[in-house]
Amino acid sequence: MERFTFDSKFKTVLFGLMGLGVLCLAITFFTDDELHTRFWSNFLHNSVFFTGIAFISTFIMAAFITAWAGWYTVIKRIWEAYALFLIPGLILMAIVVIGLWGGFHHLYHWADAEAVAEDRILLGKKGFLNKGWYTFGTLIIVGIWIFFATKLRQLSLREDENQGMNFAVHRQMRVYAAAFLPIAGFSSAAIIWQWIMSIDAHWYSTLFAWYTGASWFVSAMTLTIITLIFLKGQGYFQKVTPEHLRDLGKYTFAFSIFWTYLWFSQYMLIWYGNVGEETIYFRERLDNYPVLFFGNLILNFVLPFFILIREDNIRKNGTMMFASIFVFFGHWWDFFLMIKPGVWHTAQETLAHHGAEGDHGAADAGHHAAATFEMGFTIPGFLEVGTMLGFLALFLFFVFRNLEKAPLDAVNDPYYGESLQHHA
Amino acid sequence: MENSNKEVLFGLYDDEEILLKAVKQAKDDHLDIMDVFSPFPVHGLDPLLGLSSSRLPAAGFIYGAIGALTGFLFMTWVFVQDWPIIFGGKPYFSAPAFVPITFEVTVLFASVGMVFTFFIICGMGPGAVNPILDKRITDDKFCIAFDASSASGDEVEKLKSFFSATGASEVNTKTI
Repeated sequence: MERFTFDSKFKTVLFGLMGLGVLCLAITFFTDDELHTRFWSNFLHNSVFFTGIAFISTFIMAAFITAWAGWYTVIKRIWEAYALFLIPGLILMAIVVIGLWGGFHHLYHWADAEAVAEDRILLGKKGFLNKGWYTFGTLIIVGIWIFFATKLRQLSLREDENQGMNFAVHRQMRVYAAAFLPIAGFSSAAIIWQWIMSIDAHWYSTLFAWYTGASWFVSAMTLTIITLIFLKGQGYFQKVTPEHLRDLGKYTFAFSIFWTYLWFSQYMLIWYGNVGEETIYFRERLDNYPVLFFGNLILNFVLPFFILIREDNIRKNGTMMFASIFVFFGHWWDFFLMIKPGVWHTAQETLAHHGAEGDHGAADAGHHAAATFEMGFTIPGFLEVGTMLGFLALFLFFVFRNLEKAPLDAVNDPYYGESLQHHA
Repeated sequence: MENSNKEVLFGLYDDEEILLKAVKQAKDDHLDIMDVFSPFPVHGLDPLLGLSSSRLPAAGFIYGAIGALTGFLFMTWVFVQDWPIIFGGKPYFSAPAFVPITFEVTVLFASVGMVFTFFIICGMGPGAVNPILDKRITDDKFCIAFDASSASGDEVEKLKSFFSATGASEVNTKTI
């Protein structure tokens, strides 16, 4: 049976990239402002992004199992391995939680007790936006996700030993998968509010969780395409045909459009409603982050729309690799745009507050500081890209480690045969 | 379509697997298949018959692009030029508000355009005559048809032996 061997050559490359990531984080930390805003926001950005990909992989598997989908069985080991990144993901997010309690970072405006005390809106949100709920949400919700991810993996591996026409294990898997879907739907929304939306503590949008979830989904799909084409080139997954890759391409196309639909719905409703507390989110981004704002739409809508609309493009591995890398980067960029402006604003306010008590000149400067160009905030700099590559290497390291532990073919999955013959 | 009084020799098969094998065999024997009929799309039949993929999606894209332009320009003309009204303090030219209608017109043009293109290309529509070889090919039979109008006796025999060799359950002729 085909097994993946984690080549020492891969390991060297991945360790090299992880080293680059650590180096970039260290440089950021030591060249940063006194709050280490850039360091912490990069850390949060990448932790959320990659943990989200792991979560969405669990969700995709659960949805496909529940829907009796057959085509994906030949590639399901990749998603199982992705899903298990939730464990390191929890550790990464736990570091953010520790930073929250220790006061090491000022990512969240609502975590600043002084600011909350004199702010009516934040006082009103105090019941949910507080350190306790943030910790509870992160540990419990990601904990539950880990439980389901490991359970699905465990059952899938047990299926490998379970010969014959007895599908008891798969039936059990279906129960866990179906149970996970509603849990995933509600818990991911709550965690997205806490991790990302609460950075802009005064602002809220009811669509935000869906929008972020769609971004995770496209990231997971594109990363799957990248990994799969790479592994196929290395001689693994030879049973994966262009038909399977085409389905992944279709998912990328469909969910890129879905993402755009949600992006536009959120934008247009806020634009049309014209309520000051809501429009400030886009005003800020349009005025001070235009490159990020329009680049986001070009990378995540225009590019995948015009490339993936043609079926013969989806069938070309080179084109798909190109498009996937750009769209993957595009959604990383999208998270960058979600996180950075709010963090920058909070940091400037905190700095102005701490630096010169009662000095209105400094406080004023803080409010308008975002209008100037700031590397690592206005656009991602080399340090951000290096950090991202480091996190990506960490992600792939765990994925390949887990891929190695099980045969690549889930031969006893009841849908294995269907998957082999898949023809779209 | 055309009333050319074609003499068609056709064989009916019970199963798509047998049909696929027969089509493959016909290709190996260099027999010129007129058409294949099946009650549902059979996977792998198109490449066997050497049919190139349809260019209908490309036509759809063009119609869609025309629709998008029409929708957007029409909205712009109405609200900027012809009948400017201020809605909620927004400028006359409010692109975000035009997007939903632009989208709808895109879909309308693409879908209606594709339907008409499809009808014209296939010669379908009101007044079209579409002779059917056997009613069962819309139910549970799979059919390979040969144009036997100008076939000699030898060639007809050859086709008949092809049908019996590939497991056709019935062989018939019909003039259409």
